[in-house]
Amino acid sequence: MLTRKGKYGLKALVDLSSRPEGQLAFVNDIAKRNNIPKKFLDAILVELRNAGFVQSRKGKEGGYRLARPAEEIRVGHVIRVLDGPLAPFPCASRTRYEPCEDCDEATCQVRHMMLDVRNAIAEVLDNRSLAEMRDIAEDTFEDLKYHA
Amino acid sequence: MTQSRRGSIVIVGGGASGVSLAAHLLQSPSSSLRVTLVEKRPEFGSGLAYSTSLPDHLLNVTDKGMSALAHDPEHFSRWARERGFVQGNEPYYAPRSLYGRYLRELLSELAEREPVRLRLVQEEAVSITPSGSGVEVSLANGASLVGHVTVLATGHDDQPEADLAFAIKTEFVDSGGIDRTAPVLILGTGLSMVDAVLLLEARGHTGQIVAVSRRGLIPSPHRPGSPIRLDSADIPLGTDLSYFLNWFRQLVRDTEARGGDWRDVVDGLRPFNQRIWQSWSTSTRRRFIEHTKAWWDVHRHRMAPQIHARLQETIARGRLRLVAGRLADVTSEGDSFRVTLEHRQTRHAETLSVAAILDCTGIAKDVSASSIRIVRGLIRQRLARPDPMRIGLDVTTDCAVVDADGRPSSNIYAVGPLTRGTFLEIDAMPDIRAQCARLANLLTA
Repeated sequence: MLTRKGKYGLKALVDLSSRPEGQLAFVNDIAKRNNIPKKFLDAILVELRNAGFVQSRKGKEGGYRLARPAEEIRVGHVIRVLDGPLAPFPCASRTRYEPCEDCDEATCQVRHMMLDVRNAIAEVLDNRSLAEMRDIAEDTFEDLKYHA
Repeated sequence: MTQSRRGSIVIVGGGASGVSLAAHLLQSPSSSLRVTLVEKRPEFGSGLAYSTSLPDHLLNVTDKGMSALAHDPEHFSRWARERGFVQGNEPYYAPRSLYGRYLRELLSELAEREPVRLRLVQEEAVSITPSGSGVEVSLANGASLVGHVTVLATGHDDQPEADLAFAIKTEFVDSGGIDRTAPVLILGTGLSMVDAVLLLEARGHTGQIVAVSRRGLIPSPHRPGSPIRLDSADIPLGTDLSYFLNWFRQLVRDTEARGGDWRDVVDGLRPFNQRIWQSWSTSTRRRFIEHTKAWWDVHRHRMAPQIHARLQETIARGRLRLVAGRLADVTSEGDSFRVTLEHRQTRHAETLSVAAILDCTGIAKDVSASSIRIVRGLIRQRLARPDPMRIGLDVTTDCAVVDADGRPSSNIYAVGPLTRGTFLEIDAMPDIRAQCARLANLLTA
């Protein structure tokens, strides 16, 4: 499920994808622009760095930038790193499987359908890049202006 | 693109991938389809991998995985069963010569059924020239074939790379006249090394065999098990190598804690290997090739248990010695070579005199120095370019060959090992047949 962590992480990455290429952004600025608690953002960015999505530089001039072009970073890949396997329910994951107390996994029809749902979710999220996600907002804004 | 513009297809290479592609193409009902298969060896079908006649040279996968047809995964199993080679339910590792026979029979059935749409040409294809709406494939005898599309299915290099010119490929052991009592050096310790050791043993070689590779690791044996179930939603994609490997190791620990085996994880991951590879950045792919591939290969590309046992026995008897290190120097001394091996841990330099050096290094170091003329030529003509790792040609996920300026060709394609920069694991039949089925669909759509 998309947690606040996943959502904040994606917002931070979209923010970085809007900076000029290679330019470092301060954590404070990213936090303010996106209304994310700074401490939480720090922890999220460390995880994104460990997975290879962002690079950082320490010190006074330090900050973060994308490690790969925004066109190459897939939204689903980021969510897996921050929130674990894509799964609409805890039981619908194969590696981080958490059985329900009150039903049998092998015969639970709900779980079987949810496994299909997660594959559909992965299909969507793994085919959308960070760049597309960034541009959705702009496109929608353009549409609104156009139709107004 | 319309059917008629792609109706005539020239496949360069009549080994396993060429035959599989031809079979998939001919599934199309189109009456204007023309498939020409060009093979430089005297025999179609077997290619390099399945030409061996040694009964000990077994497939590294059981009969279940070896069908050449994506729409009929049991095809080889049934074929072997009908002829009495498989009985009962034990995993069956067929001799490779038998698999060569399967491919040859598959092709001759096709040829009989398709006298008009399929043509076999036994000649070496040496170059490709774009011409009008298609391509012209020139042959070594001076003739040429014109088609709308050509597909390179040239497989593995059959000659050592230029910087290993002093070495020979295993197939030449029989013709090389190697002194049977003299030591022999093998470069590489993977599955090809195992083949070479078996061949030397079968030919009565009594001299010591020394095999050297960076880590000196040999392939693991197969063991019956049940691959874990995974969905792509479970697998971290697009990450750094170390992040992925941590996840992988943790999954192995979890699986072992539940009574499973690392093989269950490696095999469960297999359907996703190409997707994982394609999600990585070029630098991650490069790091994998440099640092992780040797370790991955010994777990992923395993051998039949009986062959593994024989290899262990050969080592125990002192007939085969494994060295982790590198070949530091080679000098020719008449009929033999004086070689210096630098051991990995100790940096100790060991000098020995060997009668022959066998190249079992596997993956190409630089495709532009390939021993396959037509591949080198395409790169020189700027019609193709090496992938960023230089282990094969740069191709799109649709198998279109990418030219020197980064443009995907509309009429030059490639399948099999030549495409490993894009697909990584594309030397085993289950991957090749799926690739051939996809390309056949695309070309006959």
